[in-house]
Amino acid sequence: MNSPGSRPASSPPADPAPVPGAGATLTAGPVGKPPAGRTGTDPLSRLRRLADLRNLSLVGVLAVLVIVGGFTKPDEFLSTDNLQLVLTQASVIGVVTVGMTFVITSGGIDLSVGAMVALASVWATTIATQDYGLGGILLCAVLVGLGCGLVNGVLIAYGGMVPFIATLAMLASARGLALQISDGRTQVVTVNPVLDLGLPDSYVLGIPPLVIIFAAVTVLGWLVLNRTTFGRRTVAIGGNAEAARLAGIDVKRQRLMLYLLSGLCCGVAAFMLVVLTGSGQNTNGNLYELDAIAAAIIGGTLLSGGRGTITGSVLGVLVFTTITNLFALNNLQSDVQQIAKGAIIVAAVLVQKGRSTP
Amino acid sequence: MRYPTSSSPTSRRNLLLGTAAAGALFAAGCTSNENNDSDENSKQAANTANDKPGKAVTVGFAGPQADHGWLNAINEQAKRRAKEYKDVTLEITEGSNDTAQQIGQIETLINKKVDVLVILPADGKALTQVGLKAMRAGIPVVNLDRVFASPQAYRCWIGGDNYGMGFNAGQYIGEQLKGKKNAKVIELAGIDNLELTRQRTAGFNDALKNYPNIKKVGRQAAEFTVESGQSKMAQLLQAHSDFDALWNHDDDQGVGAERAIKQAGRDDFLMVGGAGAKHAMDAIKAGNTVLKATVLYPPTMAASAIDLARALGQGKGVGGLAELEIPASLTLYSAVVTKDNVDEYLPTGFS
Amino acid sequence: MAPAPPDPRPLLTMSAITKSFPGVRALDGVDLDVEAGEVHCLLGQNGAGKSTLIKVIAGAHQPDSGEILWRGTPVTLKSPIAAMRLGIATIYQELDLVEGLSVAENVFLGHEMATAGFVRSRAARTATAALLTRLGHPEIDPGRLVGELSAAGQQIVSMARALSHDVQLIVMDEPSAALDPDEVDNLFRIVGDLTAAGVAVVYISHRLEEIRRIGDRVTVLKDGRAAARGLDARTTPTREVVALMTGRDVEYAFPRRTTAPPLATATPVLRLEHLARAGEFEPIDLEVAPGEIVGLAGLVGSGRSEILETVYGARRPTSGRVLVDGRPLRPGSVSAAVRAGLGLAPEERKAQALLMLESVTRNVSVSSLPRFSRAGWVDRGAERAAARQCVRDLSLHPDDPERPVRTLSGGNQQKAVLARWLLRGCRVLLLDEPTRGVDVGARAELYAVIRRLADDGMAVLLVSSELPEVLGLADRVLVLREGRVVHTAPARELDEHRVLDLVMEGSPS
Repeated sequence: MNSPGSRPASSPPADPAPVPGAGATLTAGPVGKPPAGRTGTDPLSRLRRLADLRNLSLVGVLAVLVIVGGFTKPDEFLSTDNLQLVLTQASVIGVVTVGMTFVITSGGIDLSVGAMVALASVWATTIATQDYGLGGILLCAVLVGLGCGLVNGVLIAYGGMVPFIATLAMLASARGLALQISDGRTQVVTVNPVLDLGLPDSYVLGIPPLVIIFAAVTVLGWLVLNRTTFGRRTVAIGGNAEAARLAGIDVKRQRLMLYLLSGLCCGVAAFMLVVLTGSGQNTNGNLYELDAIAAAIIGGTLLSGGRGTITGSVLGVLVFTTITNLFALNNLQSDVQQIAKGAIIVAAVLVQKGRSTP
Repeated sequence: MRYPTSSSPTSRRNLLLGTAAAGALFAAGCTSNENNDSDENSKQAANTANDKPGKAVTVGFAGPQADHGWLNAINEQAKRRAKEYKDVTLEITEGSNDTAQQIGQIETLINKKVDVLVILPADGKALTQVGLKAMRAGIPVVNLDRVFASPQAYRCWIGGDNYGMGFNAGQYIGEQLKGKKNAKVIELAGIDNLELTRQRTAGFNDALKNYPNIKKVGRQAAEFTVESGQSKMAQLLQAHSDFDALWNHDDDQGVGAERAIKQAGRDDFLMVGGAGAKHAMDAIKAGNTVLKATVLYPPTMAASAIDLARALGQGKGVGGLAELEIPASLTLYSAVVTKDNVDEYLPTGFS
Repeated sequence: MAPAPPDPRPLLTMSAITKSFPGVRALDGVDLDVEAGEVHCLLGQNGAGKSTLIKVIAGAHQPDSGEILWRGTPVTLKSPIAAMRLGIATIYQELDLVEGLSVAENVFLGHEMATAGFVRSRAARTATAALLTRLGHPEIDPGRLVGELSAAGQQIVSMARALSHDVQLIVMDEPSAALDPDEVDNLFRIVGDLTAAGVAVVYISHRLEEIRRIGDRVTVLKDGRAAARGLDARTTPTREVVALMTGRDVEYAFPRRTTAPPLATATPVLRLEHLARAGEFEPIDLEVAPGEIVGLAGLVGSGRSEILETVYGARRPTSGRVLVDGRPLRPGSVSAAVRAGLGLAPEERKAQALLMLESVTRNVSVSSLPRFSRAGWVDRGAERAAARQCVRDLSLHPDDPERPVRTLSGGNQQKAVLARWLLRGCRVLLLDEPTRGVDVGARAELYAVIRRLADDGMAVLLVSSELPEVLGLADRVLVLREGRVVHTAPARELDEHRVLDLVMEGSPS
């Protein structure tokens, strides 16, 4: 912005529009800094927007992990079995992260996701629910998730509570309720159609059903965030809630819907977890809130809201799952895995920071 | 199914010793459901605790949050045992995993002037001070399982043997794989930053050292939850396409581990569990899964702790020993439950 | 009267200071000189650049270019601490106190009295008590929490904090705004004491009568430039000062209307019936016909913006109602107002209107999404095409709707907001300070856009601090003073002097 001369009056007006009566001493506002990051009309920036290459750093990390895996454990790592395994392990937390991405994009936070998964999985696997079979379990998990999301949403949107506090309260009470319902016991599922969904016989063209659900939720989430009015409004209230309100958006209703959506995702994830583990337990979903937030943030979603990427979030989940897999295959213990996870979070956020600040 | 399912002579002997010791030690019986079947073996001394009502004793019980099958069983064992005695009133606190909260709960019990305290601390070291406080206030403390940092903080400690649990699991596996060349073993551990996990692993490693034909090729730590058990087991199975035996520290996470084994379609190895959950014993009895044995970490210790507390409160000793006083420490034996003896242990299995 | 400074050089000399933020030039070559021991008043409308200038003095902003001399020596004020070391203290309008700390802790915040890291709280309290006594408020307990004090009390604490440094120059940003008359008298006494001790005061206020009472010299800022420097605070006529603040140093050709103004009998699209908000503005009745531009003229605090926001549903009226096409709007509902065809271009564009991370297209389409969507799915092709059309219509520059809106200049950001409502098909446009933060040269374009929209049948309600803007654009003008409409007349029957008299009626001239 600094013009070479010390007197800015000598710089020519950058705005070519004729200004009747304006004296030559007046500078018409130049447009500011040269286009930074993903601005401008040049083909490169268009391509960037198209491919959402903001996630390039994560793709890079993933590629490095695959290469390391290929060298250290070629037989075990680079196999269909292992691909199925990584995707399956990523699927439950992945679905939770999609919901979390919406909430964070809107400038909120949902700390209760893990607790909602626990409560939904426990409630869906009580003996009474199991009587209704697969449909009953699925419906119950989804309804419990929606119910918790409704409470979160009403407290935040209409009760004026800070999301951090409201969902923290939900975290505590949902975990407590899950413990009460299960009485601390592991509720083993005896409904065969549910159990079978987690077994190789039900893979469709080699793809486990859980991975299919994960993929469907991802695609749906991407479409909703990027292609629907719901997604636009989510981004708008996250970017500037006051401006969104004055633009005529019903901000409260939108907030309510977002926490409902997060609850729905947790309900679906709880069902998936029941299928995966063949049981419901009140310790399920332990620390999902932190994993989901971490995956969304390293994916490029702004914690302050206004920008969110489903692709990035899913890549974030895949990076974390692949690390766990890679380390386990090499018989490295959980301490090393946790250190690596922390390092990746810091590195990814630093890379993005360097990228987003012009 | 390459391995015989019956126990070897060694392990059976250990087992017998274990049950005999437990039976002799407590006149009132050790397991919760069979009450007095060991009465005839015990020569009751004049001043030992028995079923007959004595002086009324109020026992304060403070444990961690029962968010896990084994801890849940601890609470239940304590409650059920206390109910069996007409002269015992149990003051049980809301379980808590928060050290500060548990200290507060125990201090409340001290202020209420209960006669005896039974404490299963969320963290033994961190709760030492409050144990000392109770002892100085003249309230004898029965320290359950997780040991305080100072022996002054308790009158009597009773608990499981984590090292022995690992050792017995290793020994059982060693005997099963005897004569097999280049046998491979993997280990699914519990929460890695707990002392007990490290002790179990140490015992397991030490036992395997006696069997030069066996090599431990893999280990991952789960979190005592079904979810982590499934996830870590799936990774282990992927990493090791071929191994002979698996020891899983905890039957709760074992639900997830068995699920992962089923999902991988593997049945070419022998699995040993830990802790002694009912579903694990059922599976051992049925004999149609890879799970062939589980090493006990008996939750009945809580019932025994109530027995000890009652005896302390009434100023009596326990039967079956020459001692006038209750011992300062009791380490329980981690028996190996197999198809052969599962019926004996099934009633103690927790869900 | 300020005593003759012992040092002939001015205490502070700033020349040709410029400072730009993305999209706007806040300071455009400002000169200011302050003598030791004088009260130098800084006057200007909101957005004239006063806040930016005092932040430069305080070291909180770095100027893009220009020179600062302190007692004749060039200095760079690279941080607030650097400014404080020279002896410059600033009392901001939004008090920058920590409410949860005590008075003494606030006074010595950042330069605590301490020995080896341990705060000597007793010494700090004693010193604070002495400062408070000097400020005429010995009754404030240095140990009390600042959050428990009144606004006036907090003001005093702010001042004590400034005096706790070895201060040569104090900048006071509207210090009297939160005070009642008694407290203002005390404030003036303090200012008198300070200047008598040779301390210079830069005093910012909207209240001209205060400037007459305590000021020595006046600098008037307008559009990021000094419109007048070093005027005598006591003798310069009020009208001249106000004209400098509100007037134009260049004449604009306001676009003429190309169509006949709507007849008085035309059916109004917007009607206000006894609309009022207690404490903000008294009941107002108003009708605006399609194609008509109605201006609301008045100074800050006259209730102009509040009226606009109440009409728009962003504030809930305490009485009266708003009708569009004869149908009353649900009170206090922005969504209802938008559905009925109202659109607001608010005063604080960045905070209240724009999604700064988003492209122009998305900023334009945000209020009209249902138009491009079927069952919630946005047809992005249609959206882009429509946004592009609007952007072209308003000749928004640069002609790239995919550009992030934050990289645009103030005038083009305003056009994006107007485009939003144009796309929405809104019929009543509420404009609050439409040229605030817009470079002088770009304003004419905005005027042309507003004119054209009205000519196409838009009803416009316009609020502006710039009298020529109101008089040049509006067909009819309502003059507001202290929440009351004091005069209504067709714009051609009014001139700047007449309106100035009306808005300042009762104030000394």
